[in-house]
Amino acid sequence: MIEGRYRELLEAAPDSMVLVNESGQIVLLNHQAEKQFGYDRGELLGQPVRSIIPVGFAERLIADGTRNAEQALAQQIGTGIELAARRKDGSEFPIEIMLSPLKNDKGVLVAAAIRDISVRREAEIHLVQMEARYRGLLEAAPDAMVVVNQGGEIVLLNVQAEKQFGYSRDELLGLQVRTIIPEGFAERLITDGTRTAAEALAQQIGTGIELIGRRKDASGFPIEIMLSPLPSADGILVTAAIRDITERKEAEKHLAQMESRYRGLLEAAPDAMVLMNTDGGIVLLNLQAEKQFQYHRDELAGRPLRTIIPEVWTIIADVKQRIAGALRSAGNSKAQEIGAGIEFNGRRKDNSDFPIEVTLSILQTAEGVLVTVAIRDITTRKKAEAQLLQTMQELNRSNEELGQFAYIASHDLQEPLRMVASYTQLLSKRYKGKLDGDADQFIAFAVDGANRMQLLIQDLLAYSRIGTKGSELLTTSSENALERAIVNLAGAIEDSGALVTHDLLPSVLADQRQLVQLFQNLVGNAIKYQGAGVPRIHVSCNRSAGAKWLFSVQDNGLGIEAKYFERIFGMFQRLHKREEFAGTGIGLAICKKIVERHGGEISVESQLGHGSTFRFALPESSAI
Amino acid sequence: MTSSNGVVGAPIEVLLVEDSPGDVRLTQEALLEANRAIHLHIAFDGVEAMAFLTRVGSNARAPRPDLILLDLNLPKMDGREVLAQIKADETLRTIPTIILTTSDAEADIVKSYQLQANCFLTKPVQLAAFESLVKSINDFWLTKAKLPHQAERGLT
Repeated sequence: MIEGRYRELLEAAPDSMVLVNESGQIVLLNHQAEKQFGYDRGELLGQPVRSIIPVGFAERLIADGTRNAEQALAQQIGTGIELAARRKDGSEFPIEIMLSPLKNDKGVLVAAAIRDISVRREAEIHLVQMEARYRGLLEAAPDAMVVVNQGGEIVLLNVQAEKQFGYSRDELLGLQVRTIIPEGFAERLITDGTRTAAEALAQQIGTGIELIGRRKDASGFPIEIMLSPLPSADGILVTAAIRDITERKEAEKHLAQMESRYRGLLEAAPDAMVLMNTDGGIVLLNLQAEKQFQYHRDELAGRPLRTIIPEVWTIIADVKQRIAGALRSAGNSKAQEIGAGIEFNGRRKDNSDFPIEVTLSILQTAEGVLVTVAIRDITTRKKAEAQLLQTMQELNRSNEELGQFAYIASHDLQEPLRMVASYTQLLSKRYKGKLDGDADQFIAFAVDGANRMQLLIQDLLAYSRIGTKGSELLTTSSENALERAIVNLAGAIEDSGALVTHDLLPSVLADQRQLVQLFQNLVGNAIKYQGAGVPRIHVSCNRSAGAKWLFSVQDNGLGIEAKYFERIFGMFQRLHKREEFAGTGIGLAICKKIVERHGGEISVESQLGHGSTFRFALPESSAI
Repeated sequence: MTSSNGVVGAPIEVLLVEDSPGDVRLTQEALLEANRAIHLHIAFDGVEAMAFLTRVGSNARAPRPDLILLDLNLPKMDGREVLAQIKADETLRTIPTIILTTSDAEADIVKSYQLQANCFLTKPVQLAAFESLVKSINDFWLTKAKLPHQAERGLT
């Protein structure tokens, strides 16, 4: 009866099944049970179940003082109980049994599904060995690590894996890896028609595969896994190093947001632009920056700015301070410059350096404070500067050499000339009228020529001395200098009856001797180039822009035609015949050189017949 | 001509230390025009000058000069060194030593007075001015100024 009702059911089950009554006697069993225990059906029917499962089963069926059989059984239902089973030949093997009650008119029967768990046990033992072998290795890894067999079951893991996925070790062992990495991992372990598992795996080894991990609480998070094969007695296992890339993904997302927000701004700039966070890390850069430093932007994003500007550390602390300062005082202004025109060397990817000029500004964004770094390649400018400097140096040297040359030439020319002059004069003195008329004339020309040459050389020497023998510019009373010049000109003033007047004159920054000479030449000219009347000369002074005093020397003399205004300041330039006015034509050239040495300019305003006004500026004395 | 220093017939010994023959002649002309009693001795370089002053070799009978006119730029031993040696010498240092040179460099002027030059004169370029300068040397140093050896000579 019972057989008829349950037989087919039992035979359909994949496990061994035995039906036991309340007394612990086997009342029914399936074919799998016969095979597993090595008995014929007839040998077991009616036998106590204790003969095949000696301990732990029959006891559970028996009512004791405190409960009836049904109650006892109910406690066991559905639970996998691990026990030892005994075959007919006396050998034992590990089993797991699942009990379920079957009620019928005779009372309660218990169906026991018996699973041979030898293989699992062995695997467990193996696992313990594996664990012992690899645990240290796994735990040393910074990432979560799981070792998976080809069935996709987790056989080994480390603490990081427990933490990352929120499971305990026991929960993870034996779990399908699909549970914690739903897609993209388990598939890779499976052989398909065209390749073996080993081949399939080989293709994935070492590659960072981005997948989604799932925690015990079902929340997902982005992971990157790296696979490597681990040969073992059970075939090839796969070790997966699992890295939580939440932060990286966030950063990437953040970057993408930032990019969309500031990219247009950055690309519009003519210079290389880098957005830097306050820790000196590169957040964003433009195309010009990529080109200039020869990096792809992905290579630079997240890297420190010193990758491309090695010396930037020298200002980072300062920048931080300025940021703090700027934020305190900032208020509403959105971009603030915190450093401009700072010169550094930029470093390209190939390690070559080039000069750059950097301007830093604060950019307050929703993501916090950033620093925009505008980088200008100043190679060309630097070259131009170097070239300019070199040219200037060459020019200075050549000017100096020229000055030296003029000085030495005129100084050394003076000696032989003094001989020529002295002896022609001596000749004239001793023999005038004692030879013939021609001799007297020849001697006169020689004397005149020597005299003129002496004047020229003296003037040339005086001119060259302005540059080569000048003194330091010191606070000097211009009034005293003028008084001194007037004293020096006393003879000429007396002869001409000139009236020289002046305003109160200030202290200036000047070479005193040169200032005296300047006044002496100008006042002297004013007296010299005079018509019939009494020379009237007035020296005045006004403040002018750029911390300078503007002096005027005004006369009522002959005046100068406008077309000569430039020319009169040239070397040896004369407007009059020698018979009219003596002189070498160097006086105003000396004036010009003196004024220029003092950083000023000299000019003239005049009308023929209406006098002239010479104007020049001198630097204010800083001592005032 | 009579010496204007009052000692009739006594020549005035002047040593001119000058390497340029043109200058020597010019100075000679100017000095003799100023004072016929001047007996001019010439040394063409510093070594010759010191030999004359210390009466070395052929200078054994050289007179002690009343005045020395010393150029600065000289061959062998230059004027500054000659000046230093004269002023370092007990007997020579009392001889008035006048620097007569083309230089008007401040450094030369300062250095000469530091070395106890009695006077620093720059040769004027114009002949008339040079003659006038030489005349004033005569008028002051050889006429008006009382010099030690002249007093000495006057006593003997």
